[in-house]
Amino acid sequence: MRLTAKLLLPLLMAAFICGCSGTDSGTLTLAIGGAPDEIAYWERLISRFELDNDIEVNILRQPTDTDQRRQGLLIALKSGQADPDVFLMDVAWLAQFAASNWLEALDSMLESGSVSEAAFFERILNRADRYRNQLVAFPVYVDGGVLYYRTDLLAAHGFKSPPETWAELVETSRAIQEKERKNNPYFYGYLWQGAQYEGLVCNFLEVAASGGGGIIEKENRILVASPENIRAAKLMKDFIHKYEISPPSTYTEMKEEETRLFFQRGQALFERNWPYAWLLHQQEESAVKGVVGIATLPHFEGGRSVSTLGGWHIGLSRFSDRKDDARTLIKFILSYETQKALALNLGWTPGRRDVYRDSLVLASLPHLADLAEAFENALPRPNFPYYTQISEILQRHLNAILSGESEAERALGAAEREINEMAGRYRDTP
Amino acid sequence: MRRSAGRDTRAAVLFLGPLFLFLGLFILLPVVGTIATSLYRDISFVDREFILFDNYLRLLGDDSFWRSVRFTLFFIVCSVPLELAIGLGLALFLNQPMPGRWFFRAAILIPWAIPAAISARAWQLIYNFHYGLANYLIVVSGLSESPVNWLGSSLGAFIALVAADAWKTAPFVAIIFLAGLQAIPDELHEQGRIDRASFFQRFRNITFPLLRPVLVVALLFRTIDGLRVFDLIYVLTGGGPAGSTNSLSLLGYRYFLAGDFGHGAAVSVALFVISLVLSIAYARMARFGGISY
Repeated sequence: MRLTAKLLLPLLMAAFICGCSGTDSGTLTLAIGGAPDEIAYWERLISRFELDNDIEVNILRQPTDTDQRRQGLLIALKSGQADPDVFLMDVAWLAQFAASNWLEALDSMLESGSVSEAAFFERILNRADRYRNQLVAFPVYVDGGVLYYRTDLLAAHGFKSPPETWAELVETSRAIQEKERKNNPYFYGYLWQGAQYEGLVCNFLEVAASGGGGIIEKENRILVASPENIRAAKLMKDFIHKYEISPPSTYTEMKEEETRLFFQRGQALFERNWPYAWLLHQQEESAVKGVVGIATLPHFEGGRSVSTLGGWHIGLSRFSDRKDDARTLIKFILSYETQKALALNLGWTPGRRDVYRDSLVLASLPHLADLAEAFENALPRPNFPYYTQISEILQRHLNAILSGESEAERALGAAEREINEMAGRYRDTP
Repeated sequence: MRRSAGRDTRAAVLFLGPLFLFLGLFILLPVVGTIATSLYRDISFVDREFILFDNYLRLLGDDSFWRSVRFTLFFIVCSVPLELAIGLGLALFLNQPMPGRWFFRAAILIPWAIPAAISARAWQLIYNFHYGLANYLIVVSGLSESPVNWLGSSLGAFIALVAADAWKTAPFVAIIFLAGLQAIPDELHEQGRIDRASFFQRFRNITFPLLRPVLVVALLFRTIDGLRVFDLIYVLTGGGPAGSTNSLSLLGYRYFLAGDFGHGAAVSVALFVISLVLSIAYARMARFGGISY
């Protein structure tokens, strides 16, 4: 008998613990991811909210890695869990989450006037946060690709301003690279993200759209292999292999951080990156502190500059059991004060358009004035619920083009076939 | 007599019960659940529907699935024998009496003790095009004039992955072999020495045959582990370049992230079936070896 008790006790305890943890409906749960100091700041912000509103908020800490944050939310939402109630989503998953019917419509927040539509970037709200005429999210942190350049090197070699077109970028890069390499053999003209991951698609969409290309759906067919897109993919390959202004490691290891660190060591003239790199380039230990400029990305002759829209958007779970409190929390996070505080303390580029005109914010983050312009024209990624699969296929074929393993026409043609085959499978709802 | 048999049964139930409960709850249930999911069109943004084997049929016609199968099988075919060879060499070395043997035995375990994601990051630095150790060594030693873009070609990335995996897991194999070596009675070797058998002859006729059961264990462990390789690839190549190192588990994970649970589950079940077939093959191999330990 004693033996039975000894064996069963741990099991009973395990069952007890499992049984207790699942049903915690008392508090509002907010899932926030990021670097440790970012989460620490959010905790301070939220504790102020708790005091002011008498609503208890439980913060669910998520990692920095985008895939892992998505995985964490996916499991909870797929199983219809009440927690987390409120969470941040990468703009690239919005369509999937909305189409899965996991997001509560937030139109009522605009109608009730608790959030003002005019405060936001109109294009972003309409093209990224609206899914089938329902508002499913609000931007908290807006991102878009920008061009960083070395002001000192441009001046030293007699260039007045950063390049407007891709041809100018190539020309400037080659001229300066040739001279700089005499002292610095690993100096490169242009750094961007070419590794096989989502960032590669963002880079490609920018180059493609800057010459009239893009991914569009026409009569139930998704078009990828357009002449404009082929031209863009070829140009990206040429940056590496023909003009040799981008390092060969571009298509193997260049993601945001690799690019930023390379540029920050003073090893490059131009860099395509997201706005977060700005503050880090200005750090004490950065070799390029004080000699970095920021500009909109170049475009093809006759085209216009385009930034891929990135960033984090806030949404409310349809399974939430505290929807009213959740809306109060969302309202707080979207308020002018909170958005301003996030910009000043974490350098987050605000989701609200009006914060970009704040004199205090502009005094400490002068580059926001330039960014606002880039964000006005930011290009959301194609709005399909199965965008992830489209991106997977594109990443593979684009990466093959960059590595020289296949020709642009053939690879994009193959990508288009694969994408439409895949999309057929996700469309045939009975 | 009867009484004690009843008590034995009861004790057996008590001892085995928790184990079966554990296995059922944490192994059998998820496996059955995954198989069930794989029979549905279970996509987060499309209506759920029972489709029987449709996911599998699509899988059979999917190039990227076959690419992943080829890669995964080729990966174990190359990495497992390499790991066994290195592991055996290490074990033979560590089994020799020598000063400081305890130190080597402990030190050899370090790669095995490091989490795969961290060692993958370390290897990523080694293979780095601009400041990696690998390029430094081949340029300094004169093997190549210019640095090599290791992770930039399918072959290079494949070799890089095999090397990183072998580095990490050969110590594990070595420990298994070492245990096997120590179970071989010294008298046999002594006898061999009296008969003037050379080191190589003794290895072929004494050590190796007696190590065979251990070899099968190591082979089985490494094969199953190699089949489900994930963390090393996730960190080191992310499946690139151009999707050439997309292992089966990585493929399944991508479907899961995209919200296509049915298809992802089908990939997992395919992986499960491959593991099962190989395990059974090994088990038979061990039995037909005719060595009873």
